[in-house]
Amino acid sequence: MMNKRPLIQFDSVGMYFGGIKAVDDVSFSVDEGQIFGIIGPNGAGKTTIFNVLSGVYVPTKGVVYADSIPLNNLPPHKIIGTIVGRTFQNIRLFNDRTVLDNLKIAQYCKIHYGLKDVLLVTKKFKEEEERLEAEAMEVLQFLELSDKAHIIAGTLPYGAQRRVEIARALVSKPKVLLLDEPAAGMNSNEIDELNVFITKIKSDFNLTVLLVEHQMKLVMQVCDEILVLNFGKKLVIGKPEEIRNNRQVLEAYLGKAKMQEGR
Amino acid sequence: MKQTGKKVLLLCFWLLLLFVMQQTQIMSNTLKLILQYIAIYSIMVLGINIINGYLGIFSLAHAGIMAIGGYTSSLISMYLLKAPFFFPINLLLGGIVGMIFGLIVALPSFTVKGDYLAIITLGFSLLVQSLLQNIDAVGASRGLRPIPKNTNIFWVGFTLLLAIILVKRFVNSKYGRSLLAIRNDPVAAELVSVDVKHAKLVAFGLSSFLIALSGGLICHLLSYTNPGAYGYSLIIEGLIMVYLGGVGSITGSILGATIWQILVETLRFIGMWRWILGAIILISLMIFKPTGLFGNKEFSLQWLRQIMRNRKEKRAIHDE
Repeated sequence: MMNKRPLIQFDSVGMYFGGIKAVDDVSFSVDEGQIFGIIGPNGAGKTTIFNVLSGVYVPTKGVVYADSIPLNNLPPHKIIGTIVGRTFQNIRLFNDRTVLDNLKIAQYCKIHYGLKDVLLVTKKFKEEEERLEAEAMEVLQFLELSDKAHIIAGTLPYGAQRRVEIARALVSKPKVLLLDEPAAGMNSNEIDELNVFITKIKSDFNLTVLLVEHQMKLVMQVCDEILVLNFGKKLVIGKPEEIRNNRQVLEAYLGKAKMQEGR
Repeated sequence: MKQTGKKVLLLCFWLLLLFVMQQTQIMSNTLKLILQYIAIYSIMVLGINIINGYLGIFSLAHAGIMAIGGYTSSLISMYLLKAPFFFPINLLLGGIVGMIFGLIVALPSFTVKGDYLAIITLGFSLLVQSLLQNIDAVGASRGLRPIPKNTNIFWVGFTLLLAIILVKRFVNSKYGRSLLAIRNDPVAAELVSVDVKHAKLVAFGLSSFLIALSGGLICHLLSYTNPGAYGYSLIIEGLIMVYLGGVGSITGSILGATIWQILVETLRFIGMWRWILGAIILISLMIFKPTGLFGNKEFSLQWLRQIMRNRKEKRAIHDE
Protein backbone atom coordinates (compact mmCIF):
# COMPACT_ATOMS: atom_id res chain seq x y z
CA MET A 1 0.00 0.00 0.00
CA MET A 2 2.70 2.44 1.04
CA ASN A 3 4.61 3.20 -2.10
CA LYS A 4 7.54 5.46 -1.53
CA ARG A 5 7.10 8.08 -4.20
CA PRO A 6 7.93 11.63 -3.15
CA LEU A 7 4.87 13.74 -3.91
CA ILE A 8 6.08 17.05 -2.54
CA GLN A 9 9.71 18.04 -2.72
CA PHE A 10 11.33 21.19 -1.36
CA ASP A 11 14.75 21.66 -2.91
CA SER A 12 16.74 24.14 -0.77
CA VAL A 13 13.86 26.63 -0.79
CA GLY A 14 14.38 30.14 0.52
CA MET A 15 11.72 32.79 0.98
CA TYR A 16 13.07 36.22 1.86
CA PHE A 17 11.07 39.33 2.59
CA GLY A 18 13.65 42.06 2.26
CA GLY A 19 16.22 41.24 4.89
CA ILE A 20 14.01 38.77 6.73
CA LYS A 21 14.59 35.15 5.88
CA ALA A 22 11.19 33.62 6.63
CA VAL A 23 12.31 30.30 5.19
CA ASP A 24 15.98 29.67 4.59
CA ASP A 25 17.43 26.77 2.64
CA VAL A 26 14.82 24.21 3.61
CA SER A 27 14.80 20.82 1.87
CA PHE A 28 12.48 17.94 2.55
CA SER A 29 10.23 15.56 0.70
CA VAL A 30 6.85 14.13 1.55
CA ASP A 31 5.94 10.66 0.35
CA GLU A 32 2.58 9.81 -1.09
CA GLY A 33 0.09 8.76 1.56
CA GLN A 34 2.01 10.28 4.47
CA ILE A 35 0.74 12.55 7.17
CA PHE A 36 3.56 15.03 7.46
CA GLY A 37 3.74 17.43 10.37
CA ILE A 38 5.50 20.77 10.40
CA ILE A 39 6.15 22.22 13.84
CA GLY A 40 8.23 24.96 15.31
CA PRO A 41 7.97 27.99 17.57
CA ASN A 42 5.99 31.04 16.46
CA GLY A 43 7.50 32.74 13.44
CA ALA A 44 9.48 29.67 12.42
CA GLY A 45 8.14 29.85 8.86
CA LYS A 46 5.52 27.11 8.95
CA THR A 47 2.72 29.06 7.28
CA THR A 48 5.24 30.52 4.82
CA ILE A 49 5.97 26.98 3.68
CA PHE A 50 2.25 26.49 3.05
CA ASN A 51 2.05 29.77 1.18
CA VAL A 52 4.98 28.82 -1.01
CA LEU A 53 3.43 25.44 -1.66
CA SER A 54 0.08 26.93 -2.67
CA GLY A 55 1.59 29.56 -4.94
CA VAL A 56 0.89 32.66 -2.85
CA TYR A 57 4.61 33.37 -2.72
CA VAL A 58 7.18 32.59 -5.37
CA PRO A 59 10.25 31.34 -3.50
CA THR A 60 13.28 33.62 -3.61
CA LYS A 61 15.51 30.64 -4.23
CA GLY A 62 15.15 26.91 -4.71
CA VAL A 63 12.40 24.93 -6.33
CA VAL A 64 9.26 23.26 -5.04
CA TYR A 65 8.10 20.17 -6.89
CA ALA A 66 4.68 18.61 -6.60
CA ASP A 67 4.26 15.34 -8.41
CA SER A 68 7.62 16.08 -10.11
CA ILE A 69 6.24 19.33 -11.57
CA PRO A 70 8.09 22.50 -10.53
CA LEU A 71 5.60 24.92 -8.98
CA ASN A 72 7.60 28.13 -9.40
CA ASN A 73 5.67 30.71 -11.39
CA LEU A 74 2.42 28.77 -11.34
CA PRO A 75 -0.40 31.03 -10.05
CA PRO A 76 -2.37 29.75 -7.03
CA HIS A 77 -5.46 28.83 -9.04
CA LYS A 78 -3.37 26.43 -11.15
CA ILE A 79 -1.90 24.72 -8.09
CA ILE A 80 -4.93 24.70 -5.82
CA GLY A 81 -7.56 22.17 -6.67
CA THR A 82 -5.59 19.95 -8.96
CA ILE A 83 -2.64 19.37 -6.66
CA VAL A 84 -3.21 21.10 -3.36
CA GLY A 85 -6.20 21.93 -1.20
CA ARG A 86 -5.74 24.05 1.89
CA THR A 87 -7.36 25.45 4.99
CA PHE A 88 -6.40 28.62 6.81
CA GLN A 89 -5.03 29.40 10.23
CA ASN A 90 -7.90 31.80 10.85
CA ILE A 91 -10.95 30.40 9.10
CA ARG A 92 -11.61 32.13 5.79
CA LEU A 93 -14.99 30.94 4.56
CA PHE A 94 -17.17 33.08 2.32
CA ASN A 95 -19.31 34.10 5.26
CA ASP A 96 -22.41 35.42 3.50
CA ARG A 97 -22.72 32.38 1.17
CA THR A 98 -24.27 29.04 2.01
CA VAL A 99 -22.12 26.04 2.81
CA LEU A 100 -23.01 24.49 -0.55
CA ASP A 101 -22.07 27.70 -2.39
CA ASN A 102 -18.74 27.74 -0.57
CA LEU A 103 -18.01 24.30 -1.97
CA LYS A 104 -19.24 25.18 -5.44
CA ILE A 105 -16.93 28.19 -5.54
CA ALA A 106 -14.02 25.89 -4.72
CA GLN A 107 -14.85 23.70 -7.72
CA TYR A 108 -13.98 26.52 -10.10
CA CYS A 109 -10.96 24.65 -11.45
CA LYS A 110 -13.05 21.56 -12.19
CA ILE A 111 -15.62 23.36 -14.31
CA HIS A 112 -14.99 23.21 -18.03
CA TYR A 113 -17.90 25.18 -19.43
CA GLY A 114 -17.15 28.61 -20.85
CA LEU A 115 -19.02 31.86 -21.10
CA LYS A 116 -20.83 30.67 -24.21
CA ASP A 117 -22.30 27.71 -22.33
CA VAL A 118 -23.41 30.01 -19.52
CA LEU A 119 -25.16 32.54 -21.73
CA LEU A 120 -26.87 29.93 -23.93
CA VAL A 121 -27.58 27.50 -21.06
CA THR A 122 -26.21 24.60 -23.06
CA LYS A 123 -26.54 20.97 -22.11
CA LYS A 124 -22.89 21.02 -21.02
CA PHE A 125 -23.63 23.83 -18.56
CA LYS A 126 -26.60 22.06 -17.04
CA GLU A 127 -24.81 18.73 -16.77
CA GLU A 128 -21.74 20.24 -15.17
CA GLU A 129 -23.77 22.25 -12.69
CA GLU A 130 -25.65 19.10 -11.72
CA ARG A 131 -22.44 17.13 -11.45
CA LEU A 132 -20.70 19.63 -9.23
CA GLU A 133 -23.67 19.97 -6.94
CA ALA A 134 -23.79 16.19 -6.59
CA GLU A 135 -20.06 16.05 -5.87
CA ALA A 136 -20.32 18.82 -3.30
CA MET A 137 -23.19 17.05 -1.56
CA GLU A 138 -21.18 13.85 -1.55
CA VAL A 139 -18.27 15.51 0.23
CA LEU A 140 -20.63 17.18 2.69
CA GLN A 141 -22.19 13.83 3.44
CA PHE A 142 -18.78 12.34 4.10
CA LEU A 143 -18.00 15.05 6.60
CA GLU A 144 -21.47 14.78 8.15
CA LEU A 145 -22.40 18.27 7.06
CA SER A 146 -25.18 17.49 4.58
CA ASP A 147 -27.87 18.90 6.87
CA LYS A 148 -25.99 22.21 6.88
CA ALA A 149 -25.69 22.56 3.09
CA HIS A 150 -28.12 25.46 2.84
CA ILE A 151 -27.08 27.32 5.97
CA ILE A 152 -25.13 30.57 5.63
CA ALA A 153 -21.54 29.63 6.43
CA GLY A 154 -20.86 32.60 8.70
CA THR A 155 -23.64 31.61 11.09
CA LEU A 156 -22.25 28.13 11.85
CA PRO A 157 -20.44 27.39 15.11
CA TYR A 158 -16.66 27.43 15.09
CA GLY A 159 -16.10 23.68 14.94
CA ALA A 160 -18.51 23.25 12.04
CA GLN A 161 -16.84 26.12 10.16
CA ARG A 162 -13.52 24.30 10.49
CA ARG A 163 -15.07 21.19 8.98
CA VAL A 164 -16.70 23.19 6.17
CA GLU A 165 -13.27 24.61 5.39
CA ILE A 166 -11.85 21.12 5.13
CA ALA A 167 -14.81 20.10 2.95
CA ARG A 168 -14.12 23.09 0.72
CA ALA A 169 -10.48 22.07 0.40
CA LEU A 170 -11.44 18.50 -0.46
CA VAL A 171 -14.22 19.14 -2.94
CA SER A 172 -11.91 19.66 -5.91
CA LYS A 173 -10.22 16.31 -5.16
CA PRO A 174 -6.64 17.46 -4.52
CA LYS A 175 -3.75 15.06 -3.96
CA VAL A 176 -2.36 16.96 -1.02
CA LEU A 177 -4.29 18.54 1.82
CA LEU A 178 -2.66 21.38 3.75
CA LEU A 179 -4.10 21.85 7.21
CA ASP A 180 -3.00 25.05 8.92
CA GLU A 181 -3.54 24.68 12.67
CA PRO A 182 -6.79 22.71 12.51
CA ALA A 183 -6.78 22.14 16.26
CA ALA A 184 -6.52 25.83 17.20
CA GLY A 185 -9.00 26.58 19.95
CA MET A 186 -10.03 22.96 20.46
CA ASN A 187 -10.15 21.11 23.76
CA SER A 188 -8.59 17.72 24.45
CA ASN A 189 -11.69 15.70 23.46
CA GLU A 190 -12.13 17.60 20.24
CA ILE A 191 -8.47 17.01 19.41
CA ASP A 192 -8.99 13.26 19.82
CA GLU A 193 -11.94 13.47 17.43
CA LEU A 194 -9.87 15.50 14.99
CA ASN A 195 -7.17 12.86 15.14
CA VAL A 196 -9.62 10.16 14.03
CA PHE A 197 -11.11 12.53 11.48
CA ILE A 198 -7.80 13.34 9.79
CA THR A 199 -6.85 9.67 9.51
CA LYS A 200 -10.30 8.90 8.09
CA ILE A 201 -10.32 11.57 5.38
CA LYS A 202 -6.75 10.66 4.50
CA SER A 203 -7.73 7.11 3.59
CA ASP A 204 -11.20 7.98 2.21
CA PHE A 205 -9.93 10.64 -0.15
CA ASN A 206 -6.60 8.98 -0.85
CA LEU A 207 -4.68 11.98 0.39
CA THR A 208 -1.29 13.08 1.50
CA VAL A 209 -1.65 15.45 4.42
CA LEU A 210 0.63 18.28 5.48
CA LEU A 211 -0.15 19.53 8.94
CA VAL A 212 1.02 22.68 10.67
CA GLU A 213 0.09 22.52 14.31
CA HIS A 214 1.01 23.72 17.77
CA GLN A 215 -0.92 21.04 19.64
CA MET A 216 1.83 18.49 20.27
CA LYS A 217 -0.70 15.88 21.32
CA LEU A 218 -2.26 15.84 17.85
CA VAL A 219 1.02 16.06 15.96
CA MET A 220 2.66 13.22 17.88
CA GLN A 221 -0.36 10.95 17.50
CA VAL A 222 -1.24 11.47 13.89
CA CYS A 223 1.95 12.22 11.96
CA ASP A 224 4.17 9.72 10.21
CA GLU A 225 7.03 12.16 9.95
CA ILE A 226 7.70 15.57 11.42
CA LEU A 227 9.77 18.53 10.24
CA VAL A 228 10.90 20.95 12.93
CA LEU A 229 11.63 24.51 11.89
CA ASN A 230 13.30 27.21 13.91
CA PHE A 231 13.80 30.78 12.66
CA GLY A 232 13.14 29.65 9.09
CA LYS A 233 15.76 26.91 9.17
CA LYS A 234 15.31 23.17 9.16
CA LEU A 235 16.18 21.86 12.61
CA VAL A 236 15.46 18.15 12.31
CA ILE A 237 13.22 15.82 10.41
CA GLY A 238 12.15 12.44 11.70
CA LYS A 239 9.61 10.10 13.23
CA PRO A 240 7.54 11.42 16.17
CA GLU A 241 9.46 9.40 18.77
CA GLU A 242 12.76 10.73 17.45
CA ILE A 243 11.48 14.28 17.60
CA ARG A 244 10.12 13.87 21.09
CA ASN A 245 13.55 13.06 22.50
CA ASN A 246 15.61 15.33 20.31
CA ARG A 247 17.75 17.75 22.31
CA GLN A 248 17.79 20.46 19.66
CA VAL A 249 14.00 20.47 19.48
CA LEU A 250 13.66 20.72 23.23
CA GLU A 251 16.07 23.62 23.25
CA ALA A 252 14.23 25.42 20.49
CA TYR A 253 10.95 25.10 22.33
CA LEU A 254 12.07 25.28 25.91
CA GLY A 255 15.27 27.25 25.62
CA LYS A 256 13.97 30.12 27.65
CA ALA A 257 12.64 27.89 30.41
CA LYS A 258 16.01 26.17 30.74
CA MET A 259 17.76 29.46 31.03
CA GLN A 260 15.44 30.47 33.80
CA GLU A 261 16.04 27.14 35.51
CA GLY A 262 19.75 27.71 35.39
CA ARG A 263 19.47 31.08 37.08
CA MET B 1 -40.09 20.77 -20.80
CA LYS B 2 -43.15 22.50 -19.36
CA GLN B 3 -40.88 25.19 -17.97
CA THR B 4 -39.34 26.03 -21.33
CA GLY B 5 -42.81 26.19 -22.88
CA LYS B 6 -43.87 28.65 -20.25
CA LYS B 7 -40.78 30.74 -20.82
CA VAL B 8 -41.28 30.87 -24.59
CA LEU B 9 -44.91 31.88 -24.04
CA LEU B 10 -43.84 34.68 -21.69
CA LEU B 11 -41.24 35.84 -24.19
CA CYS B 12 -43.79 35.96 -27.01
CA PHE B 13 -46.20 37.84 -24.79
CA TRP B 14 -43.53 40.39 -23.87
CA LEU B 15 -42.56 40.95 -27.51
CA LEU B 16 -46.21 41.25 -28.55
CA LEU B 17 -46.86 43.73 -25.77
CA LEU B 18 -43.86 45.80 -26.87
CA PHE B 19 -45.00 45.67 -30.47
CA VAL B 20 -48.50 46.83 -29.58
CA MET B 21 -47.11 49.61 -27.40
CA GLN B 22 -44.94 50.77 -30.25
CA GLN B 23 -47.52 50.58 -33.03
CA THR B 24 -50.61 51.95 -31.33
CA GLN B 25 -51.37 55.09 -29.39
CA ILE B 26 -52.32 53.09 -26.31
CA MET B 27 -50.29 55.44 -24.14
CA SER B 28 -49.18 59.03 -24.47
CA ASN B 29 -45.80 59.83 -25.97
CA THR B 30 -44.56 61.23 -22.68
CA LEU B 31 -45.35 58.01 -20.89
CA LYS B 32 -43.66 56.05 -23.65
CA LEU B 33 -40.59 58.24 -23.32
CA ILE B 34 -40.43 57.78 -19.57
CA LEU B 35 -40.79 54.01 -19.94
CA GLN B 36 -37.94 54.03 -22.43
CA TYR B 37 -35.77 56.05 -20.06
CA ILE B 38 -36.51 53.61 -17.26
CA ALA B 39 -35.64 50.61 -19.41
CA ILE B 40 -32.45 52.14 -20.83
CA TYR B 41 -31.18 53.15 -17.40
CA SER B 42 -32.14 49.72 -16.07
CA ILE B 43 -29.80 48.19 -18.62
CA MET B 44 -27.04 50.55 -17.54
CA VAL B 45 -27.64 49.86 -13.85
CA LEU B 46 -27.58 46.10 -14.47
CA GLY B 47 -24.18 46.62 -16.05
CA ILE B 48 -22.87 48.78 -13.21
CA ASN B 49 -24.23 46.34 -10.66
CA ILE B 50 -22.06 43.49 -11.94
CA ILE B 51 -18.93 45.44 -10.99
CA ASN B 52 -20.06 47.66 -8.12
CA GLY B 53 -22.53 45.14 -6.69
CA TYR B 54 -21.59 41.54 -7.34
CA LEU B 55 -17.85 42.02 -7.66
CA GLY B 56 -17.78 44.73 -5.01
CA ILE B 57 -15.30 46.97 -6.82
CA PHE B 58 -16.08 50.67 -6.59
CA SER B 59 -15.76 51.59 -10.26
CA LEU B 60 -16.68 54.93 -11.78
CA ALA B 61 -15.91 53.98 -15.37
CA HIS B 62 -19.55 53.72 -16.44
CA ALA B 63 -19.78 57.26 -17.79
CA GLY B 64 -16.79 56.68 -20.05
CA ILE B 65 -18.02 53.30 -21.24
CA MET B 66 -21.50 54.69 -21.94
CA ALA B 67 -19.98 57.54 -23.95
CA ILE B 68 -17.91 55.10 -25.99
CA GLY B 69 -20.91 52.87 -26.66
CA GLY B 70 -23.13 55.80 -27.54
CA TYR B 71 -20.63 57.55 -29.78
CA THR B 72 -19.59 54.37 -31.59
CA SER B 73 -23.10 53.26 -32.49
CA SER B 74 -24.19 56.81 -33.31
CA LEU B 75 -21.24 57.39 -35.63
CA ILE B 76 -21.89 54.11 -37.40
CA SER B 77 -25.58 54.99 -37.82
CA MET B 78 -24.72 58.45 -39.12
CA TYR B 79 -21.95 57.61 -41.55
CA LEU B 80 -21.71 53.88 -42.26
CA LEU B 81 -24.79 51.73 -41.89
CA LYS B 82 -27.50 54.35 -42.23
CA ALA B 83 -30.55 52.20 -42.93
CA PRO B 84 -32.83 51.78 -39.89
CA PHE B 85 -32.75 47.99 -40.09
CA PHE B 86 -29.01 48.09 -39.37
CA PHE B 87 -29.82 49.61 -35.98
CA PRO B 88 -29.48 46.39 -33.95
CA ILE B 89 -26.10 45.72 -35.56
CA ASN B 90 -24.93 49.25 -34.80
CA LEU B 91 -26.03 48.86 -31.20
CA LEU B 92 -24.18 45.57 -30.95
CA LEU B 93 -21.02 47.09 -32.45
CA GLY B 94 -21.23 49.92 -29.93
CA GLY B 95 -21.60 47.32 -27.19
CA ILE B 96 -18.59 45.39 -28.39
CA VAL B 97 -16.35 48.46 -28.62
CA GLY B 98 -17.50 49.43 -25.12
CA MET B 99 -16.68 45.92 -23.97
CA ILE B 100 -13.14 46.14 -25.34
CA PHE B 101 -12.56 49.37 -23.41
CA GLY B 102 -14.11 47.72 -20.36
CA LEU B 103 -11.52 44.96 -20.59
CA ILE B 104 -8.79 47.58 -20.64
CA VAL B 105 -10.29 49.23 -17.56
CA ALA B 106 -10.27 45.81 -15.88
CA LEU B 107 -6.48 45.53 -16.11
CA PRO B 108 -5.63 47.92 -13.26
CA SER B 109 -8.14 46.11 -11.05
CA PHE B 110 -5.76 43.14 -10.89
CA THR B 111 -3.32 45.00 -8.72
CA VAL B 112 -5.01 48.18 -7.51
CA LYS B 113 -7.69 48.17 -4.84
CA GLY B 114 -10.33 50.35 -3.22
CA ASP B 115 -10.04 54.11 -3.38
CA TYR B 116 -7.13 54.00 -5.79
CA LEU B 117 -9.11 51.99 -8.31
CA ALA B 118 -12.04 54.40 -7.91
CA ILE B 119 -9.69 57.23 -8.83
CA ILE B 120 -8.30 55.33 -11.83
CA THR B 121 -11.79 54.57 -13.17
CA LEU B 122 -12.89 58.15 -12.54
CA GLY B 123 -9.84 59.24 -14.49
CA PHE B 124 -10.90 56.95 -17.33
CA SER B 125 -14.38 58.50 -17.49
CA LEU B 126 -13.04 62.04 -17.45
CA LEU B 127 -10.38 61.13 -20.01
CA VAL B 128 -13.00 59.85 -22.44
CA GLN B 129 -15.09 62.96 -21.88
CA SER B 130 -12.24 65.37 -22.55
CA LEU B 131 -11.09 63.40 -25.57
CA LEU B 132 -14.57 63.64 -27.07
CA GLN B 133 -14.62 67.33 -26.23
CA ASN B 134 -11.43 67.92 -28.16
CA ILE B 135 -11.71 65.71 -31.24
CA ASP B 136 -13.26 67.75 -34.02
CA ALA B 137 -14.13 64.71 -36.10
CA VAL B 138 -16.76 63.69 -33.56
CA GLY B 139 -18.13 67.20 -33.18
CA ALA B 140 -15.97 68.24 -30.22
CA SER B 141 -18.09 69.87 -27.53
CA ARG B 142 -20.98 70.44 -29.95
CA GLY B 143 -21.51 66.71 -29.99
CA LEU B 144 -23.26 64.65 -32.62
CA ARG B 145 -26.51 65.49 -34.35
CA PRO B 146 -28.71 64.45 -35.97
CA ILE B 147 -28.48 60.82 -34.98
CA PRO B 148 -31.26 58.79 -36.62
CA LYS B 149 -34.13 58.30 -34.20
CA ASN B 150 -34.03 54.54 -34.33
CA THR B 151 -34.69 53.74 -30.70
CA ASN B 152 -38.25 52.77 -30.01
CA ILE B 153 -39.98 51.02 -27.18
CA PHE B 154 -39.73 47.67 -28.96
CA TRP B 155 -35.95 47.69 -29.19
CA VAL B 156 -35.56 49.09 -25.70
CA GLY B 157 -37.82 46.44 -24.20
CA PHE B 158 -36.12 43.72 -26.20
CA THR B 159 -32.64 44.81 -25.08
CA LEU B 160 -33.78 45.05 -21.47
CA LEU B 161 -35.10 41.49 -21.60
CA LEU B 162 -31.86 40.34 -23.17
CA ALA B 163 -29.85 42.14 -20.48
CA ILE B 164 -31.90 40.58 -17.68
CA ILE B 165 -31.49 37.09 -19.13
CA LEU B 166 -27.75 37.57 -19.67
CA VAL B 167 -27.14 38.86 -16.17
CA LYS B 168 -29.33 36.23 -14.56
CA ARG B 169 -27.53 33.39 -16.29
CA PHE B 170 -24.16 34.94 -15.62
CA VAL B 171 -24.87 35.38 -11.93
CA ASN B 172 -26.04 31.79 -11.50
CA SER B 173 -22.91 30.33 -13.06
CA LYS B 174 -19.38 29.76 -11.82
CA TYR B 175 -18.59 33.34 -12.81
CA GLY B 176 -21.30 34.86 -10.65
CA ARG B 177 -20.36 32.66 -7.73
CA SER B 178 -16.71 33.57 -8.02
CA LEU B 179 -17.53 37.29 -8.17
CA LEU B 180 -19.35 37.03 -4.84
CA ALA B 181 -16.42 35.05 -3.44
CA ILE B 182 -13.95 37.71 -4.61
CA ARG B 183 -16.11 40.41 -2.99
CA ASN B 184 -16.07 38.42 0.23
CA ASP B 185 -12.38 37.52 0.44
CA PRO B 186 -10.18 37.87 -2.66
CA VAL B 187 -7.25 35.97 -1.16
CA ALA B 188 -9.37 33.02 -0.08
CA ALA B 189 -11.08 33.02 -3.48
CA GLU B 190 -7.75 32.66 -5.22
CA LEU B 191 -6.72 29.93 -2.78
CA VAL B 192 -9.77 27.81 -3.52
CA SER B 193 -8.82 27.79 -7.21
CA VAL B 194 -10.84 30.74 -8.52
CA ASP B 195 -9.04 32.36 -11.44
CA VAL B 196 -9.53 35.87 -10.09
CA LYS B 197 -8.12 37.71 -13.10
CA HIS B 198 -10.24 35.78 -15.57
CA ALA B 199 -13.40 36.25 -13.49
CA LYS B 200 -12.73 39.98 -13.24
CA LEU B 201 -12.13 40.25 -16.98
CA VAL B 202 -15.38 38.46 -17.81
CA ALA B 203 -17.28 40.61 -15.32
CA PHE B 204 -15.87 43.86 -16.68
CA GLY B 205 -16.56 42.68 -20.22
CA LEU B 206 -20.23 41.88 -19.67
CA SER B 207 -20.75 44.95 -17.52
CA SER B 208 -19.25 47.27 -20.11
CA PHE B 209 -21.16 45.58 -22.91
CA LEU B 210 -24.47 46.35 -21.19
CA ILE B 211 -23.48 49.90 -20.26
CA ALA B 212 -22.36 50.57 -23.84
CA LEU B 213 -25.64 49.18 -25.19
CA SER B 214 -27.58 51.57 -22.99
CA GLY B 215 -25.39 54.39 -24.30
CA GLY B 216 -26.29 53.49 -27.89
CA LEU B 217 -29.97 53.30 -27.07
CA ILE B 218 -30.09 56.67 -25.35
CA CYS B 219 -28.26 58.43 -28.21
CA HIS B 220 -30.65 57.02 -30.79
CA LEU B 221 -33.57 58.00 -28.59
CA LEU B 222 -32.57 61.63 -28.08
CA SER B 223 -31.14 61.92 -31.61
CA TYR B 224 -28.27 64.03 -30.34
CA THR B 225 -25.46 63.61 -27.88
CA ASN B 226 -22.61 65.70 -26.54
CA PRO B 227 -19.66 65.07 -24.24
CA GLY B 228 -21.29 67.10 -21.45
CA ALA B 229 -23.80 64.32 -20.91
CA TYR B 230 -21.08 61.90 -19.76
CA GLY B 231 -19.62 63.78 -16.84
CA TYR B 232 -19.89 63.75 -13.08
CA SER B 233 -23.67 63.92 -13.08
CA LEU B 234 -23.99 60.67 -15.03
CA ILE B 235 -21.47 58.99 -12.73
CA ILE B 236 -23.43 60.10 -9.67
CA GLU B 237 -26.78 59.20 -11.21
CA GLY B 238 -25.53 55.70 -11.99
CA LEU B 239 -24.35 55.24 -8.42
CA ILE B 240 -27.63 56.55 -6.98
CA MET B 241 -29.63 54.08 -9.05
CA VAL B 242 -27.39 51.12 -8.12
CA TYR B 243 -27.30 51.86 -4.41
CA LEU B 244 -30.98 52.84 -4.32
CA GLY B 245 -32.19 49.57 -5.80
CA GLY B 246 -29.84 47.07 -4.30
CA VAL B 247 -26.23 46.04 -4.48
CA GLY B 248 -26.09 42.66 -6.19
CA SER B 249 -29.71 42.29 -7.21
CA ILE B 250 -31.30 42.24 -10.66
CA THR B 251 -34.68 43.31 -9.32
CA GLY B 252 -32.96 46.01 -7.32
CA SER B 253 -31.23 47.37 -10.42
CA ILE B 254 -34.50 47.79 -12.26
CA LEU B 255 -36.28 49.15 -9.20
CA GLY B 256 -33.49 51.67 -8.61
CA ALA B 257 -33.61 52.89 -12.20
CA THR B 258 -37.41 53.08 -12.10
CA ILE B 259 -37.64 55.05 -8.87
CA TRP B 260 -34.90 57.48 -9.84
CA GLN B 261 -36.25 58.11 -13.35
CA ILE B 262 -39.77 58.70 -12.02
CA LEU B 263 -38.37 61.09 -9.40
CA VAL B 264 -36.36 62.92 -12.05
CA GLU B 265 -39.40 63.30 -14.31
CA THR B 266 -41.93 64.26 -11.66
CA LEU B 267 -39.57 66.67 -9.92
CA ARG B 268 -38.64 68.56 -13.06
CA PHE B 269 -40.24 71.70 -11.62
CA ILE B 270 -37.71 71.99 -8.80
CA GLY B 271 -34.88 72.25 -11.33
CA MET B 272 -31.36 71.90 -10.00
CA TRP B 273 -32.70 71.05 -6.56
CA ARG B 274 -33.18 67.51 -7.87
CA TRP B 275 -29.46 67.02 -7.46
CA ILE B 276 -29.64 68.08 -3.86
CA LEU B 277 -32.39 65.52 -3.40
CA GLY B 278 -30.31 62.87 -5.16
CA ALA B 279 -27.35 63.54 -2.90
CA ILE B 280 -29.59 63.39 0.18
CA ILE B 281 -31.03 60.07 -0.98
CA LEU B 282 -27.54 58.67 -1.50
CA ILE B 283 -26.32 59.85 1.90
CA SER B 284 -29.32 58.52 3.79
CA LEU B 285 -29.14 55.20 1.95
CA MET B 286 -25.51 54.76 2.94
CA ILE B 287 -26.41 55.47 6.56
CA PHE B 288 -29.66 53.53 6.91
CA LYS B 289 -29.60 50.82 4.26
CA PRO B 290 -26.15 50.49 2.70
CA THR B 291 -27.15 47.49 0.57
CA GLY B 292 -30.04 49.32 -1.09
CA LEU B 293 -33.78 48.71 -0.96
CA PHE B 294 -33.57 45.14 -2.20
CA GLY B 295 -30.20 44.25 -0.74
CA ASN B 296 -29.01 41.17 -2.55
CA LYS B 297 -32.45 39.57 -2.68
CA GLU B 298 -34.38 38.89 -5.86
CA PHE B 299 -38.05 39.31 -6.52
CA SER B 300 -39.79 36.03 -7.19
CA LEU B 301 -43.18 34.53 -6.49
CA GLN B 302 -41.58 32.32 -3.87
CA TRP B 303 -40.16 35.34 -2.10
CA LEU B 304 -43.57 37.04 -2.18
CA ARG B 305 -45.25 33.94 -0.79
CA GLN B 306 -42.70 33.78 2.00
CA ILE B 307 -43.48 37.35 2.99
CA MET B 308 -47.22 36.71 2.95
CA ARG B 309 -46.76 33.61 5.06
CA ASN B 310 -44.64 35.46 7.59
CA ARG B 311 -47.22 38.19 7.81
CA LYS B 312 -50.03 35.69 8.32
CA GLU B 313 -48.08 33.97 11.05
CA LYS B 314 -47.44 37.28 12.73
CA ARG B 315 -51.13 38.11 12.61
CA ALA B 316 -52.01 34.68 13.98
CA ILE B 317 -49.64 35.22 16.90
CA HIS B 318 -51.11 38.67 17.43
CA ASP B 319 -54.68 37.31 17.46
CA GLU B 320 -53.82 34.72 20.05
